Amino acid sequence: MSTMTPDMNVTVPMAGPSLAGPAIRKAPSFATAVLRVFDLSLGQMLWSRRTIFLGLVVGSPVALGLMLRILDALGFAGTIRMGGAAVTGPTVFGNMIWLLYLRFLVPVLGVFYGTSLIADEVDDKTITYLFVRPISRRAVLVGKYLAYVVTTVFVVLPSVVVLYLCVQPLGHGSLAEGFMGLLIDLGLLGVGLAAYGALFALIGAGIKHPLVVGLVFAFGWEQVALALPGYLRKFTIAYYLQALVPHVMPADGLGSALQSLFRDVPSPTMSLSAIFVVIVVCLAIAGWMVEKREYVLEQ
Amino acid sequence: MTGKTRYFLIGSALVFFVGLSIGLVAYYGGMPQGLFASNTGPAELALVPEDAAVVAYANVKQVMSSDLRQRLRQFGGPSDEGRDEIRTSTGIDIEQDIDHVVAFMDKRQDGAPSHTTDGLVLARGRFDQGRLEAFAREKGATIEDYKGKRLIRPKAKAEETGHGSEADLEVAFLESGLVAIGPSAVVRRVIDGQGGRSRSARDNADLMKLIADQRESSFWVVGQFAAITSQAKLPQAVTDRIPPITWFSAGGHVNGGVQVMMKAETNSDEAANNLRDIVRGFVALAKLQAGNRPEAQALWPNVEMGGTGKTVSLSFGVTTQLIDVMTPKKRGSGATPKPAAPKGPETPEKPVK
Repeated sequence: MSTMTPDMNVTVPMAGPSLAGPAIRKAPSFATAVLRVFDLSLGQMLWSRRTIFLGLVVGSPVALGLMLRILDALGFAGTIRMGGAAVTGPTVFGNMIWLLYLRFLVPVLGVFYGTSLIADEVDDKTITYLFVRPISRRAVLVGKYLAYVVTTVFVVLPSVVVLYLCVQPLGHGSLAEGFMGLLIDLGLLGVGLAAYGALFALIGAGIKHPLVVGLVFAFGWEQVALALPGYLRKFTIAYYLQALVPHVMPADGLGSALQSLFRDVPSPTMSLSAIFVVIVVCLAIAGWMVEKREYVLEQ
Repeated sequence: MTGKTRYFLIGSALVFFVGLSIGLVAYYGGMPQGLFASNTGPAELALVPEDAAVVAYANVKQVMSSDLRQRLRQFGGPSDEGRDEIRTSTGIDIEQDIDHVVAFMDKRQDGAPSHTTDGLVLARGRFDQGRLEAFAREKGATIEDYKGKRLIRPKAKAEETGHGSEADLEVAFLESGLVAIGPSAVVRRVIDGQGGRSRSARDNADLMKLIADQRESSFWVVGQFAAITSQAKLPQAVTDRIPPITWFSAGGHVNGGVQVMMKAETNSDEAANNLRDIVRGFVALAKLQAGNRPEAQALWPNVEMGGTGKTVSLSFGVTTQLIDVMTPKKRGSGATPKPAAPKGPETPEKPVK
């Protein structure tokens, strides 16, 4: 890799004041390359069409929370009811974390962003521009993955905080009561986004139609495996992620009933370790695949 | 990184940290909780001792006039028998004279007899003191003054019944519209502490936290779970299987039907999970029972379970239609319309002659 471009970081060795002649350009280190790709991808991700989708998806629970808060302030909400039963703000907040964020938003964002990390560059035929740089292909993947994590975390977590402020005090709930739960929620959502992103980055790096496969995994395999007795659930991310949720699992249908019936909860240490292993292994394999694979761009 | 991206990240981080800071301030008691605590619950809480094991409240007026009570009476539920008994012995008509009651159970004192419970009922309403005193005298009760308060001691029955507790019962007029009914020692203790020198339930943060949740309930009970289990005298095999619950609360709002909310605090997250599993089992069992009667299944209440960490909460609503379906047919004419229920083979309707 001797080709250098002006926009890449260059280092000029300073051999001494008497050294003359042309400067020797050195390829950036792995970390520097990751940061450069991260910087470039962050802006692209934040201001892409996908962000509109992200905004809508993440904005809807916040809008719902704000609406409940306004109705409550105006005296229209009265007692909040779910299925005819009066519930408190903390229960509503817990259900929203389960149903909207954990079961829907986190896997969906993982699928849409994770699978597109490499696949979009291939589809747009711009991957060549990245791969001809004097940087490791792994650095491209890792940089893009970090950009995905920062983008989603910076959009999802503030929305959860706003939702907590809006919903938690409803129905005589208190902010103090749910604060420790909120911290755990924020942590587990961040970890969930990282885990799903890594898995779908791997799928995106190795499979031709990653979006379909990703959706089947997130909303097919994971849902079925969690509802079945036995060890199959251990091959899902949701199994480990759900073990960390501080709220009670909502009983919203047959799927939830089966999940709670066959539910065995791994310890938080085991869950975190498993998720960490998923992230590292998926990224390592994805990096290796990107490094080895020949991407053929269709003309 | 472009300026636009930078501004977005800064804005997002600001929202995040401001929200977290508000939660943190609330968590560490930065909110003036004491300010609001003074307004929480009925005023009679100031007379309840700080270490009360169980405190209960009932908005008598609301419950008595509710459609639910009328419906239950039609099915032979609550009768006027108890009400008449109180009216005969004390001269107080619960339905007409009382607005709300607050009752509490003290911590069991060491060495206290097993059949005694130190508790008191504080009733707020409209009481004609002169008429009630005259009524008590007619019944042979004695009336005395204690620190400026009038105490009515019904005619002693200790010799007749052999239970000292009944003989100890006293009615005290604490202030205009407030009477206390309970054992003599507790009544006098409350009068002693009325000057505001002693600490009350309002000073018990754990208790007040649970009471604050019940602001709109028609009736509620909160307290230490140990007080209930010790009074219930449950078998050891049962108590061993109950997860360690520290505090509990239950309350309901009576309207057309009744909305019930229950809450329990355990001493660990694991205990809370065990309790949730037990509750889920009971809910499933109840649903199975309802499965035998399709008309009840359609009306069966949705049970919402909630709670975080050590807290387990449960709420459900029972409609009057469900009560109609689930209660044995005993009512006479003039009942409100109800969904058609199939005739059970065990309770055939006889033709009216």
